[in-house]
Amino acid sequence: MAGATDSSVVRGDTSTYETVAAVTVGLAAVLFFLGLAATVELVSITGTLAGLPTLTTLGLLLVCMGLAVAGFGLVSYRGIFPTDPRASAGLVAAGLFAGLWGLIGALVFTETLGLGLLGGLGGGLGLGAVAFFATALPREDVGSTLPAGALAAFFGLVFLLGIVGPEWSWSPANFPDSQSVTFFARSVAPFAVMASSLVVGWAAAKAYGGFGARGRHLGAYLLVYLNAVAIIAILVALVAFVVFKGFGPVTEGIEVGLGVGPTTTIGLLGFSVDVVWPVFWPFLMNGASLFTDITGVFPAIVGTAWLVVGAVVLAVPLGVGAAIFLTEYAEQGRFTNVVEVATNALWSTPSIVFGLFGAAFLVPRFAPQKSLIAGMITLGFMLLPLVVITAREAMIAVPDEYRDASAALGVSRWQTIRSVVLPAAMPGVVTGVILGVGRIAGETAPLLLTMGGGSFVEAGRRAKVLGNFQLSLSPPFVTNPELTQATTALPYQLWQVVLTGTGQTAGVDDVTAFGWGTALVLLGVVLAFYAVGIATRQYFRSKLTYE
Amino acid sequence: MATNHQRDPDGWQSRLASRFARFAEFVQDTENDAVAVGALGTVALLGAFASFLVTSPYTSVFLAGFLAAVVYGWVRHQELAARGVTLAMTVSTVVILALITFFIFYEAWPILADRSGTVFGVTVPGLGMFTTTAWNPATASPKYSMLPMIQGTVLVTLVATAVAGPLGVAAALFISEIAPPAVRELVKPGVEILAGIPSIVYGFLGFTVLSPWASDAFDLVGQGTYLFVGIVVGLMALPTVVSVAEDAINSVPESMKSGSLALGTTDWQTMTTVTIPTAFSGVSAAVLLGVGRAIGETMAATVMLRNTPTVAEPLYNVFYGFETLTSLIAANYGSSSGLQKDALFVAGCILFVSVLALSIGSQLIERRMDRKVGGVE
Repeated sequence: MAGATDSSVVRGDTSTYETVAAVTVGLAAVLFFLGLAATVELVSITGTLAGLPTLTTLGLLLVCMGLAVAGFGLVSYRGIFPTDPRASAGLVAAGLFAGLWGLIGALVFTETLGLGLLGGLGGGLGLGAVAFFATALPREDVGSTLPAGALAAFFGLVFLLGIVGPEWSWSPANFPDSQSVTFFARSVAPFAVMASSLVVGWAAAKAYGGFGARGRHLGAYLLVYLNAVAIIAILVALVAFVVFKGFGPVTEGIEVGLGVGPTTTIGLLGFSVDVVWPVFWPFLMNGASLFTDITGVFPAIVGTAWLVVGAVVLAVPLGVGAAIFLTEYAEQGRFTNVVEVATNALWSTPSIVFGLFGAAFLVPRFAPQKSLIAGMITLGFMLLPLVVITAREAMIAVPDEYRDASAALGVSRWQTIRSVVLPAAMPGVVTGVILGVGRIAGETAPLLLTMGGGSFVEAGRRAKVLGNFQLSLSPPFVTNPELTQATTALPYQLWQVVLTGTGQTAGVDDVTAFGWGTALVLLGVVLAFYAVGIATRQYFRSKLTYE
Repeated sequence: MATNHQRDPDGWQSRLASRFARFAEFVQDTENDAVAVGALGTVALLGAFASFLVTSPYTSVFLAGFLAAVVYGWVRHQELAARGVTLAMTVSTVVILALITFFIFYEAWPILADRSGTVFGVTVPGLGMFTTTAWNPATASPKYSMLPMIQGTVLVTLVATAVAGPLGVAAALFISEIAPPAVRELVKPGVEILAGIPSIVYGFLGFTVLSPWASDAFDLVGQGTYLFVGIVVGLMALPTVVSVAEDAINSVPESMKSGSLALGTTDWQTMTTVTIPTAFSGVSAAVLLGVGRAIGETMAATVMLRNTPTVAEPLYNVFYGFETLTSLIAANYGSSSGLQKDALFVAGCILFVSVLALSIGSQLIERRMDRKVGGVE
């Protein structure tokens, strides 16, 4: 407790320092969002911001914040405000600063000073080394603020002095003409602003915590929280954007009322009933046709439904059976090891490799062309490892007491599995299957190679599997032409839209809008599976905790 | 077991003999009709597999025979039937992996044999596909080089790893150590849903929004950059990294963390000095798996790239995107035949082998971590 003598227990007298640091963190956040807004051109780099040219304003802000952050370090170093810094800012921070400054050095020495590759290498390494030692050698309060403040001040001065003005651009000379790149101020400056505001914000958060363990804690938490917020923001933005773009095309021309919808015939044992839908939703109920106003994705929805059914029928019994054998019957040894490695390898095998396998092995064995059944089996193989893994996890999680209690009643092992283990593991298995189905329902690459055919399919040419089983006297005795011909599915339909590009084709007025509509329907189907899967898991988990 | 093996050079023979003896005993102890049905079912299943391999229409007959055997066994000897059927299902997962391996190499073999090269007098199949840089199937002497696609895959994977690695590990730390329970219940499903968004939807977004923006912002010739494909693919690999890294971090015993906290450290100090070092191997396995996902990601790359195999110059030029191994297959399979189609299978082999190596490597690392953490407890 050597430091206890010169640091007071109550840190009330540091409030000014802490307030300034907190304001700096807030300013860094503002600056970050200004940079973000500039990337999507909400803030114009060539225009004005707060009465001054945008780059001047940003430059002023950066310089101020750079000076403030450097000031925190110096004030703390001179002992004007009591902080408890460590001896060094640490190698991780030093490495990061060395990287950032090295990059700047390399670019400045090669391009601005025109010293070529060797000069750039030397300049980069030199400046990187300076930044490294400036971070690692001095006490923490100086080491983690000076390089950060200098970075912000450097970019600020570059903008203020007009070295990078609104019309600035730079094309690296060693790129060939056919692959040339030009960096404009409008595309590079926002990223420089965002990067330096992150660095400055981190350093200010450390200063706010008074450096040392508490400062590091605050600085790191700031970045980790930002990261989590960014991930969720990206997710929300992605989904919202697809909904925004696709909502119009999907909901076009919906009618509700008795007798407006298409007619479905339900036939059973010779009797048939015509049911007229009370809703007409053209995008979901139409196919592609020159004679309808609104082109829809009905055949693709039917195709995706059949694919999912086929894959589940194949993979779920296989996967659950394998999981039963592995957890309940097999002795843990070489065989179970091999199976485990094989399932994990299958799980990480790229989908396109499954597609190649389906094309080489399954397609020629069912029909001379791509076929629905080849797609079903390929997707089933992709679903299988996921079912095995999740079912196994669920069965391992069943407590051994359950098994022992059942065995003590004198029943056989299979009866124990059937009446004790499987019911207890069922929630986990069901959740895993639902999430897995969500994954394969959006899978595109294997379908290109095994199943997809036709770019815009009419409603009449959808896969009609149920009514088309045919019995015959020659092998293979049961055939179904619908299973052995190519069809479409939602993700495949979207791929066709990309292939078609833009414009008008096959009765589709605006292909891009149709694509957004298809993307929204596909996203809706997949996210519905995920929502149900996650909700099931939460439901069973809450039941388990309260039991 | 290894030492036993060294002491007894013909150990496998005696092991085989004892296995046979056990099997014979099992047959002796089991009722005759059960053994007969089991044998019939096994033969029928093998027959179905063999006739499917040779594309015989009689596959359905064998399959019906197998089903009949299973139904009979289920009614009369449920215990044994269940055991046998689940064993067959387990074996099928291994068989599927073996079939994938065999068939993609089998289909790739013609061009590998055709483009063999000689190094120090040894003939290496397929070497000719790695000594030039041109992919040009439409000329009189077609050239099938894999190098442009390998460059593309490497660049995309590097960018994707730079995105998914740090962000994924930070998110995993957040979910398992930092977030309050209510926030965790929001972020965790969010990350899972990020994995659920189909790759073609990511690709469509990239194709209609990101690529045009990038071409405009950097004044590129045409559309398609490895940089933005890498960022999108990194976003798609992120959930894999998060979930595996989270498992690894969760498996660090609570006692170790509590011990550290009891010494008066901050949460962050505990994470950097205890949690992350202990979970390090598991976290690196997570990043490896994320790299595997990034290598194998297909549709986003196919949709956003130019699909004209060319080497980007200079080699680090991430602002131009031509072709990756995955997009080569997806974009060209429909219109290719002969040697070109075989070349696509070579791309598939490269993908399969590299991802398999990453998968097995990360599993070995994870097991080591399990042993280590288990030993500490």
